[in-house]
Amino acid sequence: MSDASFKFEKQNRTIMQRLFEPPSVGKMAPVAKVVAYTFLAIWSLFVLFPIYWVIITSFKDAAAVNQGPYFIPFIDFQPNLDAWRAQFNLDPFCDFSSIARQLYLLVHNSFVFVVSPIVSLQPMEPQICKIYLAFTNSIVISIASTLFCVAVGSMAAYALARIQYKPKFGNIMIFVLLIIAVIVVTTYAGVPWWASSTVALALFFFMARAFGRHFKMSLKNGDILFWIISQRILPPIVVVIPIYVMFQAVGMLDTHLALILLYAVANLPIVVWLMHDFFANLPIELEESAQLDGATRFGIFWDIVMPLTRPGLAATTLLILVLNWNEYLFAVFLATVKVQTMPIMVAAKNAGEKGVFWWEMCAIIVVMIIPVIIMAVLLTRFISRGVLLGAVKG
Amino acid sequence: MTDGGSRASVKFDAVQKSFGDVKVLEEFDLEVEPGEFLVLLGASGSGKTTALRILSGLETPSAGRVYIGDRDVTEILPKYRDISMVFQSYALYPHKTVAENIGFPLKVRKLDKAAIDSAIIESAKQVQLENLLERYPRELSGGQRQRVALARAIIRRPSVFLMDEPLSNLDAKLRGHMRAELKHMQGTLGITTIYVTHDQIEAMTLAHRVAVLEKGILQQLATPAEIYNNPANLFVAQFIGSPAMNVIHGSLENDQFLTQGTKVKTKVKGQVAKAIAGVRPEDCSVTSPSEGTLNGKIYTTELIGDHTLVTVAWGSDQIVVKAHKDFDGKQGDGVGVVLPPENLFIFDQTNGERIR
Repeated sequence: MSDASFKFEKQNRTIMQRLFEPPSVGKMAPVAKVVAYTFLAIWSLFVLFPIYWVIITSFKDAAAVNQGPYFIPFIDFQPNLDAWRAQFNLDPFCDFSSIARQLYLLVHNSFVFVVSPIVSLQPMEPQICKIYLAFTNSIVISIASTLFCVAVGSMAAYALARIQYKPKFGNIMIFVLLIIAVIVVTTYAGVPWWASSTVALALFFFMARAFGRHFKMSLKNGDILFWIISQRILPPIVVVIPIYVMFQAVGMLDTHLALILLYAVANLPIVVWLMHDFFANLPIELEESAQLDGATRFGIFWDIVMPLTRPGLAATTLLILVLNWNEYLFAVFLATVKVQTMPIMVAAKNAGEKGVFWWEMCAIIVVMIIPVIIMAVLLTRFISRGVLLGAVKG
Repeated sequence: MTDGGSRASVKFDAVQKSFGDVKVLEEFDLEVEPGEFLVLLGASGSGKTTALRILSGLETPSAGRVYIGDRDVTEILPKYRDISMVFQSYALYPHKTVAENIGFPLKVRKLDKAAIDSAIIESAKQVQLENLLERYPRELSGGQRQRVALARAIIRRPSVFLMDEPLSNLDAKLRGHMRAELKHMQGTLGITTIYVTHDQIEAMTLAHRVAVLEKGILQQLATPAEIYNNPANLFVAQFIGSPAMNVIHGSLENDQFLTQGTKVKTKVKGQVAKAIAGVRPEDCSVTSPSEGTLNGKIYTTELIGDHTLVTVAWGSDQIVVKAHKDFDGKQGDGVGVVLPPENLFIFDQTNGERIR
């Protein structure tokens, strides 16, 4: 026995075995290690170099950019703060009193927003340095919209994961027909939109109640889920013009509320889709047990389900936050002056008559990157594994 | 000591349940006395868990009514039924401590903090958990988790206690221990308990009465002794007992059971072309070849400790006999098996019904 197996012992392996076989289970072979780490090193260069390039470019002047490429500060070129001064010092409204007033307005407006969601966030101070305005706009819009979106989306996802819905196909057809009717009478008969939609809604409930039981075909939760996800399949560029017209009609162009609502609606499908998976995989006994113990459905959702899906919730929140932070297309249409966000600021540096101000653009980009990195670090602490351990295993 | 527990009766009245085209429960009737420990026994897919879930309110019956005490609870939400349930998986909340888990049913009922705390300690003491109250479920062993689930179920002093295979996730030794604890606790609290299991030993040891289910139909409802000594049909006879009851295929003519050309005297009379004779291993005995009721060859022998199981080949059937531990027959030896007529059950093979 020992004679036959000697050539498999560690010290007797051939050079090829040493190179291509892993030394033990759960480790990599030396050659595989070299290949993998080389690939990873090259890949990180691809990822990290642009960040490095943006940072050093923000300290260059026009000459250093145009005569370049210069890679190493102090050796290739002399770094200076021109680009940063242009954003902060040279802006007449970038003093402490303006920023303090801006902060006050931010708090005041968020209070107004919470108390009365109908009130738009118009009274932001436009007399403030542009980068500060854009930065606070970006923060307010992306955080508010993310919270709203994740709250609504996860509740919807939970309902779809746990309650069986059977909307009748016939009722849906009635609804669609009534919407068409509303459009027709509003456009061609001059009926005010609120009157026609109220009548249509009342008619819908009446007709659904009257004829609903005669319809046979009905949709299921899977269909609803797919319908919600399919909203995201449509390219945003297709819908942005109608959305512009709608917000114009209700007088909400260039308001925070418009962007907050729009971002929330646009990202709702992603939240529902991701969170549905997390909820569906939770052991249902926990909720059944809580139900028997007397908890309400919302109590179960808040006290049992939410804490258990915290990693998923954190991951989803992070994703939506980043998507909102980076959003450009909707913002460029809907935010003309007062609620311009950071991506608009960046793009604006590309549109000057004197060519592209790369150094200023890079300074703004650096300002834009920092919060994302902070968010990622903070939220990864929540994305920990093993939360469910001990729930249902013996 | 019999504190708390309002000891409600439970009644299933012609309850049916189907999932799509699959009938899980058919015309299920069952009455449970106040304070009774009733075990629903059946193989997986027999409908026993469905019956329990219908009583808990987690499922709605397709037809029939369910009563707890005098109340018709068929359409009442689970939380208004005054029941508590122990799940097979325990269903502990992993993000809550043991104390928070146990106190949860009172917390959601908005009792005041002091009352909850004293109730938690009292319940925890009943299951010997008072030293582990600050731990999380993941830091507990399987048996301790089981106790937390029990404590959470008893803290509210429900009128009915439901248990869905609560012991099946434990290892064999712990299972025996927890079985005794459960029985003691039920005896102490006197709460009506309905216990679902597929383990016939749990059913025999725990129950005041056992309800045997198969394919959604109640096969027999009786005390453990009655079920063992007087099975209603072939299914019950084979399901209860370890090792299982021997079955011998043949036919019944008057008071003679004919198998492989041998006549065996029985106590029942009848004419059944395809009959099955059932006899428990401990009721048979081995004797020298040619002196038994049936004479065959030893298939194998197994020494268990206090006895030996002797398997005798009889045509395509096998007869297991519980013999003395010193039995020394070898595989292939001829041996006689004595079948006492008074311990012989005869069943109709076509429908499994007992012939009395």
